Amino acid sequence: MISAVRSAGAVVWSRGLARHSWTVGVWLLLSVLLVWYATLIPVFGQFQVTSISKNSLPLVYLAIGQAIIVIAGGIDLSLGGLLLLSNALAARFMEDQPFAMVLLVALLLIAGLALLNALVGYVISISGVPDIVVTLATGYIWSGIALWVLPSPGGGTAPEFRWLFTGAESGIGGTYVMPILMMLVPALVVFFLSRQTRIGLAIYAIGSDDTAARLAGLDVRRAKMASYAIGGALAALAGLATVALTGTGDPRFSVGANATLNSVAAVVLGGIALVGGTGLVLGAVAAGVILIMLNPILSAMGIDPNNAQIIQGLLIAGVMMVGGLVTLLRERSA
Amino acid sequence: MSHSSPPPRSETEHVPATGLVARAAALVSERPTIALSGTLVILVIVTGIIEPNYLAVSGVRNTLLQAAPLGILAGAQTILMLTGGIDLSVTMVATASAYVAANQSPSGAAVAILLGVVVGLVVGSANGVGVAVFRVNPLIMTLAMSGILLGLFTAWAQTILKGSTQVGPFIKLIGAGSFLGNRIPYSVVVWAVIAAALIWLLRRTGWGRLLYAIGDNEIAVRLAGVRVWQVRITAYIAAGVLGSIGGILLGGRTGAVDLQLANAFLLPSVAAAVIGGTSIFGGVGGYAGTILGALILSVLNSMLTFLNVGQAIQQVVYGAIVLALAWGYAGLTRRA
Repeated sequence: MISAVRSAGAVVWSRGLARHSWTVGVWLLLSVLLVWYATLIPVFGQFQVTSISKNSLPLVYLAIGQAIIVIAGGIDLSLGGLLLLSNALAARFMEDQPFAMVLLVALLLIAGLALLNALVGYVISISGVPDIVVTLATGYIWSGIALWVLPSPGGGTAPEFRWLFTGAESGIGGTYVMPILMMLVPALVVFFLSRQTRIGLAIYAIGSDDTAARLAGLDVRRAKMASYAIGGALAALAGLATVALTGTGDPRFSVGANATLNSVAAVVLGGIALVGGTGLVLGAVAAGVILIMLNPILSAMGIDPNNAQIIQGLLIAGVMMVGGLVTLLRERSA
Repeated sequence: MSHSSPPPRSETEHVPATGLVARAAALVSERPTIALSGTLVILVIVTGIIEPNYLAVSGVRNTLLQAAPLGILAGAQTILMLTGGIDLSVTMVATASAYVAANQSPSGAAVAILLGVVVGLVVGSANGVGVAVFRVNPLIMTLAMSGILLGLFTAWAQTILKGSTQVGPFIKLIGAGSFLGNRIPYSVVVWAVIAAALIWLLRRTGWGRLLYAIGDNEIAVRLAGVRVWQVRITAYIAAGVLGSIGGILLGGRTGAVDLQLANAFLLPSVAAAVIGGTSIFGGVGGYAGTILGALILSVLNSMLTFLNVGQAIQQVVYGAIVLALAWGYAGLTRRA
């Protein structure tokens, strides 16, 4: 199921739309929710857009990373652990440092976690142990190291660094330009990487059928490691966004576990099947924002947080049931 | 999740058993439970060396008290993993069941336990319908269910389930008590009964064989005339009930319940089944291995507690050992 919409002919476009109907649907759902939210509250402006976009940064990053790994036929349950590790290391080493030093730490973390997760991809590839098991175990290891680096919530970062992700040096208020830029740039980079480059094509190919990919002469191991490296880099970004948003590090295990599960939910909601080889990274981006947006929407409707959790669960299950039914009907009619 | 199947290798291809070592290796790869039992024995001995008191009755009893609920929850995962599914809501089911059981304890133990198990029945059915009829991915269905349950019970804890969070004396007895001079916990007896039933169901009944068959090749099973969706629903119901029983035992062990009761058991319940050799892709495995997996993880937990190294190192060592065991298992069964 590899498509490449390159030429701009109308037929190609409509075919592309039909093939990626789920991705289009998720973006439509996001737009509808945004409009609905705007009518729900008396004033809808810069503050709301900024708050939604910056609060969804960590989940969107993880969702992009999870998406590329799932497309390659894997699944990474350690992304939450990597987020904790990045968050803890950043908060520990960025505290009271000048901005240049903070940026250096950030770049080192992105490169380091990409390498680390590529190594995990290598281990999965040579050991023959399923992805879900290896990453379950490494998730424990990364969150353990995070807790060792930062035994209790604390640490800090430079104000300029907080501005980079939130648009405000204090992390409160600010404009939506920076958060939206920080969301779209990595999303588009990974999207084009996955659709327009050799390695992206290889990632779709091994997720679709790794035996066929190997027989066609692709380096399956390299493509797998590449997908895990991208996932690791995005998890590092998610940890950096968390430190920028909150101003501190929080190494609690449950934070990481929830982040992992939400990233899987965002990927599936975004139309990327867990069997691999299908879907677009952009779908996961919209789904990640939707998952975060549900909270302010439900609280704007005057629903208390406990019921909001129930509705969120029902919504996820409901959307997936409708999607399942549609697929079923399509299969029947085909 | 891609099925990275190794190149087909003929089963008759023999490893030349030249020496004792080679023959032992062949035997172990033939029956991986031997390797698991060996690992368990080594872990017990190492723990005994770290803390000499461990090998005395009470140490082993404590490990067993922890292993029983874990083993039962891992049983739920084993059944579902055989069909290619998974249950991320099993610990929330356990917590919810224990909560209901504690709340109903004033009306007597039988009512309390029964109502607790009803929670598992209802949630299991809902999961089953979502996965089997609506074809929702099991990871997502059970994850969403877990969120729904957490929300419902957080709200209910202040309304209709307001009241006792202490479990009754009978539940406390089966969850934490022991007999034969404080040697054997009652919860282990419950576990043993469930284990025997599960092993019998999986190995000797048509239902059990269907679970393996669905995990192996669902399309073939459907073409053979089996109503796959019905089998799947019953599997999720069975998993829900096991979750309930595990949760009630856990509630009995701690005496009081809260909404975080079983949280920490989610990843270990999956890990126990995986270490025991049940494939996450379905069709391969069994409950005997899961029992050993649950025991290994519980002994490991006791060992790390005795070492008193702090939570950070505990998590790292736990993850490293789970990875090493899974890797070793894959290496052994692949017969390089």
